[in-house]
Amino acid sequence: MNIFKNLYNYREFLKTSIKKEFRGKYKKSFLGILWSFLNPLFQLLIYALVFPFILKNNVSNYTVFLIVALFPWNFFNLSIIQSAACVVSNGGIIKKVYFPREILPISTATSNLINFLISSVIVFVALLISGVGIHASIIALPIIILMQYILQLGLSFILSAITVYVRDVEYLINVIMMLAFYLSPIVYSADMIPTKYLPLFKLNPMFHIIKYYRDILYYGKFPEMGSVFILFFVCIIILIVGYLIFRKLEKRFAEEL
Amino acid sequence: MKNDVAITIKNMSKDFIIYADKANTLKERIVRFSNNKKEVRHILKNINLEIKKGETVALIGVNGSGKSTLLKLITKIIYPTSGSIKVKGKLASLLELGAGFHPDFSGRENIYFNASIFGLTKSEIDSRLDDIIAFSELGSFIDTPVRTYSSGMYMRLAFSVAINVDADIILIDEILAVGDQRFQEKCMNKMQELKKMGKTMVFVSHSKEAVEFLCDRAVWINNGEIQKDGKTEEVLKEYIKVCG
Repeated sequence: MNIFKNLYNYREFLKTSIKKEFRGKYKKSFLGILWSFLNPLFQLLIYALVFPFILKNNVSNYTVFLIVALFPWNFFNLSIIQSAACVVSNGGIIKKVYFPREILPISTATSNLINFLISSVIVFVALLISGVGIHASIIALPIIILMQYILQLGLSFILSAITVYVRDVEYLINVIMMLAFYLSPIVYSADMIPTKYLPLFKLNPMFHIIKYYRDILYYGKFPEMGSVFILFFVCIIILIVGYLIFRKLEKRFAEEL
Repeated sequence: MKNDVAITIKNMSKDFIIYADKANTLKERIVRFSNNKKEVRHILKNINLEIKKGETVALIGVNGSGKSTLLKLITKIIYPTSGSIKVKGKLASLLELGAGFHPDFSGRENIYFNASIFGLTKSEIDSRLDDIIAFSELGSFIDTPVRTYSSGMYMRLAFSVAINVDADIILIDEILAVGDQRFQEKCMNKMQELKKMGKTMVFVSHSKEAVEFLCDRAVWINNGEIQKDGKTEEVLKEYIKVCG
């Protein structure tokens, strides 16, 4: 459990690098932090126009149906894409100073969590305006967010470390995320998937997580808690395995960069 | 590990794998699968070294002999191929000018950023801020971005942070040569002061005067091996006889 002690000793550095990630992102733009709201809003607008009008689906309140899944997806997407680059882009300090390398993926995952929590204000506004409202099931939401964060942290450890050795991962991940977007029930509903292929879709952890978000926020019902706990357990396993991989690969970071 | 020992290095070796042309991408790796020339270079061979608490040790040797690599290994930036390195106490290293400085941040912001890399908390930095700024002699420049600094100013700021982080062990790689004569002397005096406070210091230097002034002990590294380890005068005398 040396890692916790080490992270505690370096808590100030962890804090400043989360802040740096968060502020640095929009540092040179006019609208600054507003982009964390504007970007997903425009994206929402585009999807909300394309899917009901052109593809003619008939889900009621499609914009809300979409937003409760799209925002968690963006959280996942950005976190994963940025984590692939987070060690490589800090090559300069890795080669010159010692600090617990874990701080890099942790701060990427955490700054994205903060970004998500801020932008989820829009989700709640949309729920209230549209009349869908907020239901008692919302008390399950923190568990789902925590679970997603743990999953992303685990994947960040794996991806950030592997990218140092094979730089292609950074580009490959963009393609995979595009595919994963359509394999998760974001723009469509999970029960539109043909039953024949359903077991295949269920291998994707984001398939379940998106479904939970939609259950809680759009349908106002509790997700099936048995499956939530199983997935929570899986996410913790991914985190542990991811961390072990990171520990194994971090020793040669300074030489490979 | 005994109580009065700060750094123990046992049977430690370090190899670097040198690729003639390093394949970073998958494509390159596949295309050049057959003719990826690589060469293993033994940078350090079977090093055994024990540095006691409060000792000031100079690492001397010609360029490419492995001195800087040894410092990097002690800092844990890289890890040994075989053998072990144990460090007891808080360590601060100054291996390269302004490592971890962010060019767009001001000097003051960089003090916070840099000191936090050394593991200091905000309140610890707050209490040292005035000392750091005073020692660096940067005056009003402290609030301008460090990209506008000259290399001497850069070095002064970096050095001021490193000596104020309250480390037990300080590692310094020949960087003092940048400052002007007066600031160099000031640094020497400060290091002398730290030495009296019982800090352990290891530093790489090509300056005979600095080594004689500061160190009780010198370790001569030649071709990745310890050639001679002992009192500064004796090691220096022999080193100068061989290497001029």
